Amino acid sequence: MKILSVDDSRTIRIIVKRAFQNYDCTFCEATNGEEGLAAAAKENPDIIILDVTMPVMDGVTMLTKLKEDPALKAIPVIMLTAESGRENVLQIAKLGVRDYLVKPFKETELIEKVSRIINLQKKAPAA
Amino acid sequence: MNQTLDLSGIRNFMKGHLTEVFTTMLSQDAVLTPEQDVPKITDRVSGSVGFGGDDINGAVYLHMSASFASRAASVMLGLPAEEPPGDAEVNDVVGEVSNMLAGGLKSWLCDTGAPCAISTPGIIRGASFQIEPMPGVEQTILVFQCNSDFVVVEVHVKFNNR
Repeated sequence: MKILSVDDSRTIRIIVKRAFQNYDCTFCEATNGEEGLAAAAKENPDIIILDVTMPVMDGVTMLTKLKEDPALKAIPVIMLTAESGRENVLQIAKLGVRDYLVKPFKETELIEKVSRIINLQKKAPAA
Repeated sequence: MNQTLDLSGIRNFMKGHLTEVFTTMLSQDAVLTPEQDVPKITDRVSGSVGFGGDDINGAVYLHMSASFASRAASVMLGLPAEEPPGDAEVNDVVGEVSNMLAGGLKSWLCDTGAPCAISTPGIIRGASFQIEPMPGVEQTILVFQCNSDFVVVEVHVKFNNR
């Protein structure tokens, strides 16, 4: 399984990667929506974990463009956002997001939400 | 709706929200102190995030000592004790925590009838600086104690059309 983490904060990208360290998956990263679209096209991830407020291109714009692209629109997206207001949630729900997680978050919550969408497998124990 | 769009409502929200952010992301208890004066924090790291909409605009500032910020970064990034974080890593962590504080406030403001947007975070470092509100801007300061350290949240708000 391949996970694309799109967040301008290196801290969040590290936390996301750390959350899945015991699972058999690979990671790719982007620091804004523009880079995220390019990474999605190049890497064809199984899921995208997407921040909302980012410079250059925000997460809502990236999600809109992703859903307009026939080659990318099937990739499931979880929004990872510090903004949980009703209007914000309704806006991203209309764009076809699969789920959202509000910061602050626990790594176990993120794993639970991702595992509902893709088939996460634990790494085999080292021999 | 029992939420009030005024400075005391914002203060009440931030009190609970900072505690939640610190507990969840830093495994750190934060207790609001009755202090009204901002404690002197030398060698300070401050995060700032602006917010703005038709009815309200302002900024959230999060102040902490450089040593506390470094420990917070180590916890959030999962760094071993013998590998202290660099300034860029500390800045990113303080910026992200500030973003979480402001994002929560933005959500509260939106749900309370004052939709707004937030900026990406900025960082100020220094030994001696003070942030003064502009005329017409209201200010609330919350001082939290985290073990032997103080963390200060400062919210500057201008209510438009009032």
